[in-house]
Amino acid sequence: MSPEPAAATPAKPPRKPMPLQLKAGLAITGTILLLGLLAPWIAPHPWDTISMRTRFLAPNATYWLGTDEYGRDVLSRLLMGARLSIGMGVAATLFSLAIGVPMGLAAGYFRGWVDEALMRLADVLMAIPPIMLGLLVLAVTPPALWKTALAVGFVYIPPIARLARSVTLTLANEEFVQAAKARAESTSYILFREILPNAWPPLIVEASLRVTYAILLGSALSFLGLGAQPPSSDWGLMISEARSFLDRAPWIALAPGLAMCLLVIGINLLGDGARERLDPRLKARLGKA
Amino acid sequence: MAAYITRRLALVVLVLVAVSMLVFGVTTLLPANVAYLILGAFATPEQVHALELKLGLTDPVWQQYLRWAGGFVTGDLGVSTLMNRPVGPMLLEALQRSLMLTGLSFVLIAVIGVGLGIVAALRHGRPLDHGVSVATYLGIAVPEFFWAIVVIIVFAAWLGWLPASGYEPLSAGVWEWAKHLIAPTMTLVFGHLAHVSRLTRSSMIEVMQSPYITAARAKGLPERVIVLHHALRNALLPTITVLALDFGRLMGGIVVIETVFAYPGLGRLVVFSIQNRDLPTLQAAILVVAAIYALANLLADLLYARLNPKIRFGRHVA
Amino acid sequence: MRRHLATLAVTIGLSTALTALPAAAQGTVRVALGTTLSQLDPARTTIGDEYVYVHLLFNGLSRIDPDMTVKPDLAESWTASDDLKTWTFKLRQGVKFHHGRVMDAEDVVATMKRILDPATGSRARTSLSMVEGVAATDPMTVEFKLNIPYAGFADIFADRQLRIVPKDKLAELSTQPIGTGPFMFKSWSPGDRLELTKNPDYFEKGLPKLDGATLRIIPESAARMAALESGAVDIVWSMPYEAVDKLKTSAVARADSVSTPTWDGVILNNDRPPFNDVRVRKALALTIDKAAIVELALFGQGEPTFSPIPPSHPYFNKSLKVGAPDIAQAKKLLAEAGFPNGFDVPMQVPQEREQRVRVGVAVRDMARAAGIRINVERVPFASYTANVAGKAQMYVDGYFARPTIDTAIYPFYHSSGSWNKQLWIYKDARVDQLLDDARKTNDQAARKAIFEKFQAIAEETVPGIIAYSAAHVNGVSKKVDGFKSTPMQWLELKNVSIKP
Repeated sequence: MSPEPAAATPAKPPRKPMPLQLKAGLAITGTILLLGLLAPWIAPHPWDTISMRTRFLAPNATYWLGTDEYGRDVLSRLLMGARLSIGMGVAATLFSLAIGVPMGLAAGYFRGWVDEALMRLADVLMAIPPIMLGLLVLAVTPPALWKTALAVGFVYIPPIARLARSVTLTLANEEFVQAAKARAESTSYILFREILPNAWPPLIVEASLRVTYAILLGSALSFLGLGAQPPSSDWGLMISEARSFLDRAPWIALAPGLAMCLLVIGINLLGDGARERLDPRLKARLGKA
Repeated sequence: MAAYITRRLALVVLVLVAVSMLVFGVTTLLPANVAYLILGAFATPEQVHALELKLGLTDPVWQQYLRWAGGFVTGDLGVSTLMNRPVGPMLLEALQRSLMLTGLSFVLIAVIGVGLGIVAALRHGRPLDHGVSVATYLGIAVPEFFWAIVVIIVFAAWLGWLPASGYEPLSAGVWEWAKHLIAPTMTLVFGHLAHVSRLTRSSMIEVMQSPYITAARAKGLPERVIVLHHALRNALLPTITVLALDFGRLMGGIVVIETVFAYPGLGRLVVFSIQNRDLPTLQAAILVVAAIYALANLLADLLYARLNPKIRFGRHVA
Repeated sequence: MRRHLATLAVTIGLSTALTALPAAAQGTVRVALGTTLSQLDPARTTIGDEYVYVHLLFNGLSRIDPDMTVKPDLAESWTASDDLKTWTFKLRQGVKFHHGRVMDAEDVVATMKRILDPATGSRARTSLSMVEGVAATDPMTVEFKLNIPYAGFADIFADRQLRIVPKDKLAELSTQPIGTGPFMFKSWSPGDRLELTKNPDYFEKGLPKLDGATLRIIPESAARMAALESGAVDIVWSMPYEAVDKLKTSAVARADSVSTPTWDGVILNNDRPPFNDVRVRKALALTIDKAAIVELALFGQGEPTFSPIPPSHPYFNKSLKVGAPDIAQAKKLLAEAGFPNGFDVPMQVPQEREQRVRVGVAVRDMARAAGIRINVERVPFASYTANVAGKAQMYVDGYFARPTIDTAIYPFYHSSGSWNKQLWIYKDARVDQLLDDARKTNDQAARKAIFEKFQAIAEETVPGIIAYSAAHVNGVSKKVDGFKSTPMQWLELKNVSIKP
């Protein structure tokens, strides 16, 4: 379903820094984010008001991206939807960070049975394909977008926890941690003041990529009816609703489809670029996009 | 190695037992009264209670679980509450079809992905390389359901080359059977090419720049031989582990693809049984998918562990 | 839904049986359905896709023709006692079940007893709630004793769940169903397809013309239509309304549309706040533009109505007018009811029924003008029974055409009605009286007056908002001959043939 980072692979020797990727990623993601944030003020038309006289209009000077089956402006909906899609992806990722990072820190630092218990728990969750786990979790309650965000976040806790654990394992042996231990600092101090600040860089890179999987998984769940609810203009839902009108009005589906494509590529570029900056050894891992 | 594999397999079994508990636990939380679903809207409370007793739904959850798990181990997967027929044969049929779909997609992903990766690597930095990157990126960056719909519209509605959906058994003729597999396979392959092609590309580029290839070149070997015999063999090693992971991913991908293409496999069975609160079918189907998924992941890990020592190029091991 | 009283005490032969041509090989028709069947046992069926199958495999004592007239089917004739409480059905001679046995009165009795048994869980049990006893008085005669006078009793048997099944094969109905209908069960692969073959011994000689029928399950509506246009299927049952326009210019298929009494609407819970206050229900109704809903939800394939009685029916109250929204009045009523600032309310819509989702979205937008803030929630249709029906504050639902006006109205509006408790929990003494009276009379003019009055009261007291009577549209390949959509929304395939 969602792209996962490739398994660890041999890396190339460092080459010259390539800020283009990062720049492009920043530009694309930033623009979409900005447009989404400003949507209520810059949207040319109301996003949810039905208008009988303007149904199925092809893109034109008044409605730049055309109108949908309820006569609503696709561009305005797209802009309002940007905040939903990004918001959902970010919220989901923050949720998996909030749970997964402490889990990983604990597993990596205490090791022993704590590690074993937490990682086997992660194994269990990872043994079910994300989309099925998401479906299962969401089927339990009436659907809503915030629940989708939680479910998606839940699904992606294990990979975050695993990464946090492996980073912690390495850091725990570093001198500054040993020094803190020797100073008899409290465990929580060592975990959150010494290890965590140094674990952030790889985690942030991972998290930024996770946002794209979260957006894709969330949109698939919306598509299957377990996410955003109409008349919301969540992009997954927009595509799902527009599929009945593909031959008559393809722009209703194409707009959110392409927007999602752009957003995912933008965030990926951002993540890859950031990864190169932070960890030049891994630079070529994913090649140029 | 043998001890390691045994340990990992035992772990997979343990994980699956835990998954079964998780799935069973979650499904009993699903907000639907199974007895009402079977009896219809006008069932009296007494009828509902009687049926619940009969189905054992009033027992504590752990007892229900043990009964279900016991049946599962002995090959009795229960009876679908909605379809009123044993889950086992239904599941097996769906599984066969899904494996057909994922198997075919898997082979194509391997062949096309590696092929594109090599081509991109050899044309490193040139337009073709960028073209491959962009195309595979599109596959991965746009939700599969979007491509699925595009495929239906283009190949079924506009061109009329392929059936829009469904499945024909082999008994209906090889062409009939194949025709129904093309569209969903195409969508699945497109959505999963990127991992393989990008990894092949990057390891290919790396291998091509390694000293022993330079040495081979110095020996004056033809480029074809260098690429196919020397470089590819080494470059493929990491790709293989990713392929094993991809098989697991495909088992997740079929949920959306089978729904859109009305392909009667495991993925649709899962969605159908969730929507209709058909718990015995849902529990069994998810467990089977989890088993395949877990085994594919295990295989990826094992391959990685096995191949890892060989993929040192003298500089760095990830 | 015209009551066909001429059938009382009259024996009518089937004209088709006399004029039938010798059967020739005519191929197999391929039909696309949207939802998988979860039941093959006719007594337990609940959804339209299942009814399509039921109609092809089984017959009832009576049947409803495409013109909504009731005709004898497995019964040859029937008579009612003067008090309309004893009904005697004479069965058609020599009708064979698919396994070769001749149908007799005991099969009918077994079928009915099975439906009346609560353990069977048949939706039709409530349709037979007036039945006190059923018995075979001779091998070809069945007698029903009713506890109330019931004028439309014979018409009920055309309904889907009441089809006659063989007494010796009841246990296999879910796996190897056997009926008397024009087609026989061949195989069923859940979620994929149902294969049917011609019943060579069908009692209407020369029918069916086809060799068989395949019902394919294709959930995606775009995929269903693409299959029709590419020639992969011949008929799309209940095609999506939005595709009707497109078929107008198609060279391979056409849209076959028929008005029906099938309705969709917003169900309001009259027993729970805020809709237990008639002023609130009325305020909501005042915000609704039914003509716009027909356009949005059905793409024009339907007509606004006030109750399950469609505008095409003779009993439709023509003095009622579909009004334009009156937001000022709606706000005033809301303020009187104690909601000067409106209120928030969740509304469930069935996820798999696209047009009902659109009704929900439209209603949300319209109600907003008066300050009723609706939060739309799509839920699987399967969880309606357990979680939504009779419990939620408001939700969108709809019901298929029923064989008679009584079965379409009484269970829904009478305070003792079975569906009423599952929907709006509505209670109006005047309506109860009217509906009870209607059951006791055979006089057309009196019944018309009763039901017109009922519609006026329903419109005034707003148990819920019935938005429209929807048309039933099938997408039909131009290769298909002899097909006509029927208001009951099942498929009549026995007269169909396929051009090569």
